[in-house]
Amino acid sequence: MILEAKDLNYYYQDGENRRYILKNTSASFEKGKFYTILGQSGSGKTSFLALLSALDSPHSGTVLFNEQDIKQIGYEKYRRNNVGIIFQSYNLIPTLTAVENVLVPMSITENELPEDKKTVAYNLLDYIGIVKSKADRFVNKLSGGEQQRVAIARALATNVELILADEPTGNLDEEMEQEIIDIFKKLAHEHQKCVIVVTHSNEIALQSDQTFSLKKGVLTTDE
Amino acid sequence: MNFIKRGLLGITRKKGKSLILLAVIFILGNLISGAISIQQATDNVESTIKERLGTAAMLELDYEAIEAMNESEMMELEISNIDIDLIKQIGGLSYVKYYDYSMSTALGSESIESYQGEEMEEENIIWDGPSMEFTLKGINYAPVIDFEEQKGKLVDGRVFTTDEVENGSAVAIISNKLAEKNNLNVGDTLTLDNAVYDYSETGEEELIASRDVVLEIIGLFEPQSAKEDKGESSDGGMMDFMDIDYQNTVYVPNEVVSSEQRYYWEEYVKFDEDYADMLVDDDDLEYYTPIFFLNNQEDTEAFKEEVMPLLPELYLVVNASDQYESIAAPIESMSKISGYVLLVAVIATVLITGLVVLLFLRDRKRELGIYLSLGERRSRVVGQILIEVMIIGLIGISLSLFSGNFLAQGVSETMLEADHDQFEEDTIYFNEFETDLTTDDVLESYQVKLDANYIIMFYVVGLLTILVSTVIPLTYIVRLNPKKIMM
Repeated sequence: MILEAKDLNYYYQDGENRRYILKNTSASFEKGKFYTILGQSGSGKTSFLALLSALDSPHSGTVLFNEQDIKQIGYEKYRRNNVGIIFQSYNLIPTLTAVENVLVPMSITENELPEDKKTVAYNLLDYIGIVKSKADRFVNKLSGGEQQRVAIARALATNVELILADEPTGNLDEEMEQEIIDIFKKLAHEHQKCVIVVTHSNEIALQSDQTFSLKKGVLTTDE
Repeated sequence: MNFIKRGLLGITRKKGKSLILLAVIFILGNLISGAISIQQATDNVESTIKERLGTAAMLELDYEAIEAMNESEMMELEISNIDIDLIKQIGGLSYVKYYDYSMSTALGSESIESYQGEEMEEENIIWDGPSMEFTLKGINYAPVIDFEEQKGKLVDGRVFTTDEVENGSAVAIISNKLAEKNNLNVGDTLTLDNAVYDYSETGEEELIASRDVVLEIIGLFEPQSAKEDKGESSDGGMMDFMDIDYQNTVYVPNEVVSSEQRYYWEEYVKFDEDYADMLVDDDDLEYYTPIFFLNNQEDTEAFKEEVMPLLPELYLVVNASDQYESIAAPIESMSKISGYVLLVAVIATVLITGLVVLLFLRDRKRELGIYLSLGERRSRVVGQILIEVMIIGLIGISLSLFSGNFLAQGVSETMLEADHDQFEEDTIYFNEFETDLTTDDVLESYQVKLDANYIIMFYVVGLLTILVSTVIPLTYIVRLNPKKIMM
């Protein structure tokens, strides 16, 4: 078990009322598997991912990474060393080239990385499907699919075992969507990563090893 | 790609924004630089002029307070003399380097001729009134304070001994020129006349009594006027007068002057008994003018504060450096203006640069959110922005260092010329401290220079201002929530 959510509660305070987004939500995730969390817009799936990625903290409950509470690890440190996050809108830095974007987390993490980080970054991009000539371009000169590949390479750059993705194909066409999903599957099955993707797409969910459904703050599994 | 490299890339990859920030800092930097240049130059003037004015302090009647009195107050006005014990008490304060108190009188002579200046020597000026050309200047400080302070210099013989001062020995130090004119040397004697005249009835003087004052010459001095070699000036006449007056000064122990004063009044009272009161109390005859020289210019205010409570009513302490305000009025007004400009420039820089940085940060909200989502420490994100702004700031203020200094030279020259034009002639200030400083001296000592003091001061003020203007908007980063930005 690489990641475990235990009795997570998360709500918005609306005057005196609490509007629960997640209620006593629990789930566990293993390495080498590709998970999807399926839900309609507003179902709380993004909030759930934010808690798993330590971009937010629950009102109660714990998230354990390798059986250690991420609060104990430190949210910043956990993001820095243990998790790679991919966003729907890529969130790349437009003034940097693709390879420079991949180099950014490599300078932030405390994980041990090879000496020649630049070569590693080029190799990662190449593995994901970005050739060197494109790797040296500013990211706003790349297509949406290419930008998302760069974002995936950036998530992998710190050599983490856990990849979390929030609607990673939301802005891509079907062909590109499938290519990205194939990459995730490859990362899970060939590189023993734990890949958790939040999506509203049943097609993607069908390709995952395990799907969780989130409705009205309650998480169920369709294993 | 650590935060330092990201900061450097932030400058080069966002050229437009970097140039805007550079322009803002450069323009405001010019104001700061100009104001500091003028401040430094005026500060230099103040220290130079005050140094030249010296550390002398005197006790003086507060004439302004007396003038402000009404008639009844004037009637009741009693001014007490400063007694010797008080002078000694003040002279014993730690601020005082040395001090003296002096009594002077004017005497004539039939046996020697007074010095009348180089130009006057060839002309025969006939003055048929009573001769009082010699100033008998009493001293209590045996080495002679005027020599210690370079007003005069002993060129032959010796100064007084303490015994001579205490006993009131009939010894004198006269000027070299006076000695030359009368073929006198050290060891010779000179005779002055203490003549008592009456002017009361006819308006013409009538000799009542007279006695010889025989003094042994123990030393010769030469004046050390700073203006001596400066050639002709518009105040040459006044300078000559001062020089002639000093050349005819005869230094003697205070007791010699006191004894001659007493003789004068004793004889005068015989003729006019209205003045008999003068002899009742010794204090009325013994009016000493004290002068104190302080160890440091900086001690002036502390000395004043300590002495003022000791003084009798209506007396105050006057320092030589007090004249600075009247001599350096144009500089002072410029110093004030530059002070205001500096304050306004610093506030404007903090506000304007702060707002520009804040706008740029809002524009880069997503980028900052990305760093935070990747687990970057907030301190390093803050550091990255600081590096970007401070490097641009450093370039901006370095450029304005030279241009601001250049502008300050131009502006202050124009202002000084305007101020100087108000004076028809070179103004010179005479008073008890015998300063020969002129407005020209003040203006000459005003120089806007690019010296180390100015450069250090400007960089410290400039960089601190930019740092403050950056730190305030950086609180924006501390409050950023990466989830809200990224998801």
